[in-house]
Amino acid sequence: MTGEASKAQDIFQDTLREAAFLAANGEPPADRCWFFREARWRCLDVVAHGVQPEHGASESTEVSPQAPEQIEQLEPEQLAIWISAAPEPQRSALALYYLDEFNYREMMSMLGLKLNELSRAIASGRREFQAWLNTTVPAAAPE
Amino acid sequence: MKRLSRGLRTLADCAPIANAKAPDRRMRTAVSRAKRIEGFAAQQSFDRAVAKLVQATPVSPEIQEWFPNEKMAEGAKRNWRKTALHPAILAIGIALAVIAVVAWIKFDEQMHAFPGMATAKKLLNVAAMTRPSELEPMQTEAGTLSDLFFMKYRLEHYDVPPEFSRQRTIGVRVFDDDEAGQVAQISLAEKRMQLFLFPARRDSKTGKPEEFEGWRYVEQEGWTGAVQAHKGILFMAVVRGPKKDLAPYLAAKPQLR
Repeated sequence: MTGEASKAQDIFQDTLREAAFLAANGEPPADRCWFFREARWRCLDVVAHGVQPEHGASESTEVSPQAPEQIEQLEPEQLAIWISAAPEPQRSALALYYLDEFNYREMMSMLGLKLNELSRAIASGRREFQAWLNTTVPAAAPE
Repeated sequence: MKRLSRGLRTLADCAPIANAKAPDRRMRTAVSRAKRIEGFAAQQSFDRAVAKLVQATPVSPEIQEWFPNEKMAEGAKRNWRKTALHPAILAIGIALAVIAVVAWIKFDEQMHAFPGMATAKKLLNVAAMTRPSELEPMQTEAGTLSDLFFMKYRLEHYDVPPEFSRQRTIGVRVFDDDEAGQVAQISLAEKRMQLFLFPARRDSKTGKPEEFEGWRYVEQEGWTGAVQAHKGILFMAVVRGPKKDLAPYLAAKPQLR
């Protein structure tokens, strides 16, 4: 999210420090979502003071049955770059969703989104990624 | 997904990539219905492929060093002691305890309530405040005073029960009380006990005295009374102390009245 490992490390350490401070005051973080939520807000704060990406209107198309083959041709870094270029909160929603570690309630809690907002962010991300896939790694024509 | 309702479609759009992770029934319903809809299978294949790619994303050694122990991000679990000492839980617990105690006291009162209880309590106050000089000296057996009450005051059935009839008296008086009516008060030599005889409460519809079986206890400010009903008259033996001070007298084998 930050684009720089050093900034990410600072945020990581600040988050842990905050957790330790709370624990020392007898109010330790209640669950692991707290860490993600806290770290995300810190990331957004850092990003807000940095260079802002230009968000143009993204093309979108319905998810294709050939998408798995297209995705297999990608490098993980390409996916990371595409997700990191998405606008907030879609970027965080996609990152958390595809980490496949959280259920939708946890994601709503961490991102401060309502269900329809979370659903819209993921569904539109899916369609936009499909459109990007079609441009980057066109599906093989059926024989 | 044209045939899915809006709510279920919203849920299906963020359906768990691994089916087993559906957190609640609504999500399981949404996934179950969505599986019958064209396009959902493609969505799931898409999501699985992206998740697989995410899992394959290499993590640099220096970032791996940040997480030597993933469990540290699980958050602290409250133990039962900490949960119990939380101010909100504590306040609720105390409130429930107070409610339970008050409810128990009320229930206990109801269980031991009897007709004339209020008057009996009032006479406990009288017993506490009576000085020996206020009573007419009378040294005899308590059981013989029935005749005195009848002959001198026209008080019928003001009989001392057999459990106390052999006790020696040191004083006696009869007075009118607004609530109790004509009350006979006897002071005994033993343990400075006092005996009261007063009319039983009458039923407002039938006019008959309300009676009850056996002995009933009434307590107030360190004084205890044992009350019995007989022929429309309530008898109360009063002692300064707990129930156990009166119990031996009540347990004694009664003689015929």
